[in-house]
Amino acid sequence: MNKSRLKRIGRGIRAKLRVLLSPAMLLYILKRLLRSLLTLILIMTIVFCLSRLMPVEGYYKNADKMTPEMKQAVRDQLGLDDNIFVQLGNFYGRLLRGDLGTSYVYRQNKPVWDILKDKLPISIRLGSMAIVLSMILGIPMGTLMARFKNKIPDHMGTGFIVLIQAVPMVVFCLFIKLFGYQWLGLKATQLFSNWTWEYWILPVITLSLGNTAYYAMWIRRYMVDEGNKDYVSLARIKGAGEGRIMFRHIFRNAFVPMVQYIPSSFLNTVVGSIYVEAYFSVPGMGGLLVDVIKKQDNAMILGIVLIYACVGIIGLILGDLLMVLLDPRISLAKKRGGAA
Amino acid sequence: MNKRCILSVRDLHVVFRLRNRKLHALRGVNLDVYEGETIAIVGESGSGKSVLNKNFIGLLDNNGRITGGSIRYYPRIWEHLGREKDRGEDEQGEYVELAGLGRSKNWRGIRGGQVCMIPQDPMTSLNPLKTIGWQLTEALKLNRGLRGQQAYDEAIRLLEDVQIDNPEERYWQYPHEFSGGMRQRVVIAIAIACNPRILICDEPTTALDVTIQAQVLQLIREVKEKYGLTVIFITHDLGVVANVADRVAVMYAGEIVEIGRTEEVFFKPQHPYTWALLSSLPQLGTKGEDLLAIRGTPPNLFKEITGDAFAPRNPDAMLIEHLAEPPVFEVSPTHSARTWRLDPRAPESKPPRPIRKLKKLGGERDA
Repeated sequence: MNKSRLKRIGRGIRAKLRVLLSPAMLLYILKRLLRSLLTLILIMTIVFCLSRLMPVEGYYKNADKMTPEMKQAVRDQLGLDDNIFVQLGNFYGRLLRGDLGTSYVYRQNKPVWDILKDKLPISIRLGSMAIVLSMILGIPMGTLMARFKNKIPDHMGTGFIVLIQAVPMVVFCLFIKLFGYQWLGLKATQLFSNWTWEYWILPVITLSLGNTAYYAMWIRRYMVDEGNKDYVSLARIKGAGEGRIMFRHIFRNAFVPMVQYIPSSFLNTVVGSIYVEAYFSVPGMGGLLVDVIKKQDNAMILGIVLIYACVGIIGLILGDLLMVLLDPRISLAKKRGGAA
Repeated sequence: MNKRCILSVRDLHVVFRLRNRKLHALRGVNLDVYEGETIAIVGESGSGKSVLNKNFIGLLDNNGRITGGSIRYYPRIWEHLGREKDRGEDEQGEYVELAGLGRSKNWRGIRGGQVCMIPQDPMTSLNPLKTIGWQLTEALKLNRGLRGQQAYDEAIRLLEDVQIDNPEERYWQYPHEFSGGMRQRVVIAIAIACNPRILICDEPTTALDVTIQAQVLQLIREVKEKYGLTVIFITHDLGVVANVADRVAVMYAGEIVEIGRTEEVFFKPQHPYTWALLSSLPQLGTKGEDLLAIRGTPPNLFKEITGDAFAPRNPDAMLIEHLAEPPVFEVSPTHSARTWRLDPRAPESKPPRPIRKLKKLGGERDA
C-alpha cells in the first residue's frame, strides 16, 4: 500500500461523496421525500376508509347484552357517527400532533404509540438481523452458483431455492422449530430475552431463509448475464484470470440491477415476520396487524400500517441511492439542456 | 519473404457442437503470419474469420473444439511460454503449440502479453462501472507488473499515444463519457498496454461511422509502427484491406481460398470467389449497369462439403468443381489459390469485366 494508491482511493471516495452531496442530489432527495409523504397520505386515507367500511356491530364487545344507550356510548367514544370527512380530519389532526390515538380493544385505552414503542425495536432488530444474514449467505451462494454454472454447486443451490420458494414459510417454520432446538441443544422452552443469542438464532435463520433464496437467485442470474457481455471478453483478452473477472468485473456490475430487489426484500421480511414472530413467540409487532384487524381496533391498524408504509418507502429510497452510488451512469439530477 | 514466421497454422479443423449436430467451422486452414506484417483476413459473415482468430487467443466458445491441426506460435528467442509439453522446436525456432493449450489458465502469459485483440464493438467492450484509468492500469498490472505511480504515468502516456486530449482528466472518467471513436482509442490503448507482439483487430471499424473509421485505421497503423506489432486484420471491407494490409487471405466456408500480397490479390485474383467479391465493389462498377451481387448463400457447414465450396454459387463452375476438392496452386512464391481453374488442364476462363479492368489497372501500375 503506497501513498499514490491511498491518494487514488481517497479520490474515488471523494467523487462518490461529491455525487451524493451535490445540491442537485440533495434537491432530488428532498423532492423524493415530499413525494413519499404524498404516498403515505394516500395509503393512510385508503386504509382509514377501508377500516370504516367494517360493520359497526364489530365494535360492540358483547352486542346481545348491550343496551342501545351503551351502544351509542361506544359509537360516541369512537366518533363513528360523524361524517367520514370529519373523522378523517380528526385523525390527521391528531397525527400532526404526534398522537396515534388510543387502542380500543387490544389494550383498552392505552395510547397506540405506547404499545408499539416496546414492540417496534424488537421487530426492527429481528428484521435487520435477518436481512443482514440473508445477504451474508445469499450473495456468496449466488456468486458460487454463477461461478460453477451447470455444475454441482449450481444444481444444489437451485434445489435449495426451489424448495424455499415453493414450500410455504409456515411449514419450514415448524420444521426448524421442531428440530432446530434439538440440534442446537437448546431448551425448547426458552423465554424471550433481549440479549441471549440462543433465543434469537432460530427466528433470525427462519426469517432470513426466504431472502437468502431470493438474493441467491437474482445475483446468480445477473452474474451469468454479465458474464456474457463483451467487456468480460476484453478483460479475458487482457489476461485476467477467471477469479479476477468474477470478483473485479462481473460482481459489482451484477450488483447494480440486484439493488432494485432490496426494497422488496424489506417487505418480504415484514411479511415473513408475521409468521416467524408468532411461531417463536417473539413479542414484536409481527402478528399484531392481523390480530388487530380481526379485533377491529382501528387506531392500532392505522398505527401499524403507518410504520410498515414507512419501512417500504425507506427501502425504496435506499435502493435508489445505492444505485446512484454503484453506477456512475445513473445521475438523478437533471443535466443542463436535458429534456425537462 | 525472408522474414521470421511468428504464427504458423497447419491444417486447422474446428468443430462446433450445436444442438447435437456438428458444425465444421474451419476445414483445414493453412496460414503463416510473418513478424511485422499486416495481414488482412477477408470473407463474408460466417466464413470463419473470427473463429480462426479466436483460436490464436484461446477464446473459442465452449461448444467449439479443435479437432485437428496445429497452431505454432514462435515467441521471442529468450522467452519460454506455456507448459513443458506444449513447447517444441522446429527449423523456425522454439514454438508453443497453441492448439493444445485448451483451458484458459494455460494461456497465462500468452493471452494479452503475446497476442492481444481489439474487439469489434467499442461501445460494449469497456466495463461501464470502472474508470478508463482503472481498466487501463489493470492491463499494465497484469501484463507488465506496473503498479501505483508507475502504472499511472504509463497509462497517461498511453492515452496520449492514442491521441486522447487531456489524459489526466480522462483517466478518471467512465466509458459513458466517451464517444464511440474515443472508446475505440481507449480499447487500442488497453491492447497496447499489454505489450503484445501480435494484435488481432476484429473488424475494429465496423461499429464506427465513416469519418471516424479513417482516423482509427490511421491510429492502428501508427501504433503498429511505433510498437513493432504484427497485425492481423479481420474485415469484410475491401477498401480497408487495400488501405492497411501487406497481405490478404480470402476465406470462404471455413478455408482460405486465396492468399497473396495485397496487390497480387487485388490485381491478379485467381479464385472465382475472389472475382465475385471484387466485382461486387461499387468502385469497380460501370455507370448505368447493375452492381454484381453474389447469388445464393454460403454453404451449410452442418453438411459435408464436396468439391469447391463456392461451386454451387458460381454460374460458370466446371463439373470438376462440384466433385473434387481442389488442391492449392501456387501462382507466385507469395500468391496461391485453391481452385481447379489453375490446373493446367482447365480450359481458359474469362474473368468478369470488373476483374479484367483491375488487371489492366495493375498492368499499368507495373509498367
